[in-house]
Amino acid sequence: MKIKMMLAVVSGAMLCMGANAAEEDEFFNSDTTIGGYGELHYNMVDPESGDSDETLDFHRFVLFLSHGFTESWSFQAELELEHNLVESGDAVTDEDGTVTDVDGKGELELEQAYLDYHASSELGFQVGVILPSVGLLNENHEPPLFLSVERPNYSKYIVPTTWFGNGAALYGDCEGWGYRLVVMEGLDGSAFGAKGIRDGRQKGYKSDASELLYNASINYTGLPGLKAGTSVSYNNAEVDEAAGTKNAMTLTEFHVKLDKDRVHGVFEVGNVDFAKPELSDGVESSFGYYVDLGYDIDEMLPFDARITPFVRWEDINTASSTTAGGDSEKSEHKSTWMVGVAVLPTEQIIFKVDYSVETTELKGGISDYETTRINLGAGYMF
Amino acid sequence: MISSKKIGLSILGGLLFAAFPLFAGIQQDAEACIRGTLGEEIELTFKKLPLDKTKRVQIEKNTRQKFFRNDVYVWKIEADGAVTGYAILDNVLGKAQPITFLVVFDPMGVVVSSCIVKYRESHGGQVKSARWQKQFVGKSSASGFKVGRDVDGISGATISANSVSRGISKLCALFPYVKKSL
Repeated sequence: MKIKMMLAVVSGAMLCMGANAAEEDEFFNSDTTIGGYGELHYNMVDPESGDSDETLDFHRFVLFLSHGFTESWSFQAELELEHNLVESGDAVTDEDGTVTDVDGKGELELEQAYLDYHASSELGFQVGVILPSVGLLNENHEPPLFLSVERPNYSKYIVPTTWFGNGAALYGDCEGWGYRLVVMEGLDGSAFGAKGIRDGRQKGYKSDASELLYNASINYTGLPGLKAGTSVSYNNAEVDEAAGTKNAMTLTEFHVKLDKDRVHGVFEVGNVDFAKPELSDGVESSFGYYVDLGYDIDEMLPFDARITPFVRWEDINTASSTTAGGDSEKSEHKSTWMVGVAVLPTEQIIFKVDYSVETTELKGGISDYETTRINLGAGYMF
Repeated sequence: MISSKKIGLSILGGLLFAAFPLFAGIQQDAEACIRGTLGEEIELTFKKLPLDKTKRVQIEKNTRQKFFRNDVYVWKIEADGAVTGYAILDNVLGKAQPITFLVVFDPMGVVVSSCIVKYRESHGGQVKSARWQKQFVGKSSASGFKVGRDVDGISGATISANSVSRGISKLCALFPYVKKSL
């Protein structure tokens, strides 16, 4: 089945390439361009019990590299350095010979590196390191595109942003209705558990291709300022190759974003189901959603910059349903109120501040355990 | 009974048909856009206009976007012997590829219509939407072009939307030079 799917995607692409598209005109020049984004964060975390913690972190430094070979063929890459440093830790060899890196620092990730064949608006093809189309932020996560300093927890634990891997995609758009079909490396099912699917990402590192991930999405952008869409991702994730155990994961989500008449509204909701909870620490499903509402007030003030105060309500639970039930469904249930302000002197530069109170339903025997956070951020994209 | 294989082949055939419309040259595509806005009963006078360096630098500074070519394609539009407008074809840069766009002006330099003549990459193709382009109708060099304030943005097409909006503001600033040259 998966070989047929892969063959269908690749053969469709080969047929596209074989057809004779238009000759290039003088408005096209083969060129290489660079772009990028980055963000510096100050994070203050004050838990209900224990000491508070303050950090300064250049969280992400990202470079985009693009090259247009012809009018239809291009290459696009995104290289990301996280936390300003990459340092290996002490290598530890387990009894089975597995070498793990303990306490390594930072990450250097090739989050995108793909060849793109843009046959027409209605049909294109990509192959390489790609991003599945899941939610609002997985494909577009530059700091000026979301209001909070850190990405929403939803975009970390329900949709494991940034989710990237080796694979291929067909995409297109017709009258504002965009679609994308992705076949890529699957998830590591042995890493599923109370924290959801995030730790199961293979990140393109010699990825196990025995069970592929299928992702289909549709988005409507036909009205200026609006984006609304949904996606389904399925992977019969391998848990133990030797034992032949697999745990099928299905992630379904819906998202809508409106930036119009100075109003900024976002709503995302998603659910992850596990077919065999006995292989994911008893977790049957993860569920979460968040709502953002902001309004530009700069018209009332003598500033040229866009100034957007906002509020957020977020509720996520990576173990929303478990076979054991009871307290096991409370420890990962986090509800968060956030207020903040985003200031954009230009469309490509943003300064942010936010204050939030996260309530965990049950933590360390304490019900409604509160964690207060203050974050400051400066970000850019170009 | 239609087999699933036939259905699959039909879908593939449909996709390929959609993927390869018959292309004319870029000049013909642009002229089709102009006629699509103003009708077939117009006369077009085409010229390839080199950009004067001094003028170019001044406009680039004011609109915060460089010109990506050394010349632009321009048209004088006439109907019943009278000049009814002008059109300019130029490039801006998307994330990886150039975006070729056309702006049609009335004789006073007010935007009558704009359209994307050729879009060449995966992300940001929503700037082709006629609804989004309609926001530029009525704008001139005195108007605001800031995406998110004066022009609605497009989620998932931030780079292209900013680029095209600045590009149209750049051609508004170029308009008097174009009008004088025709």
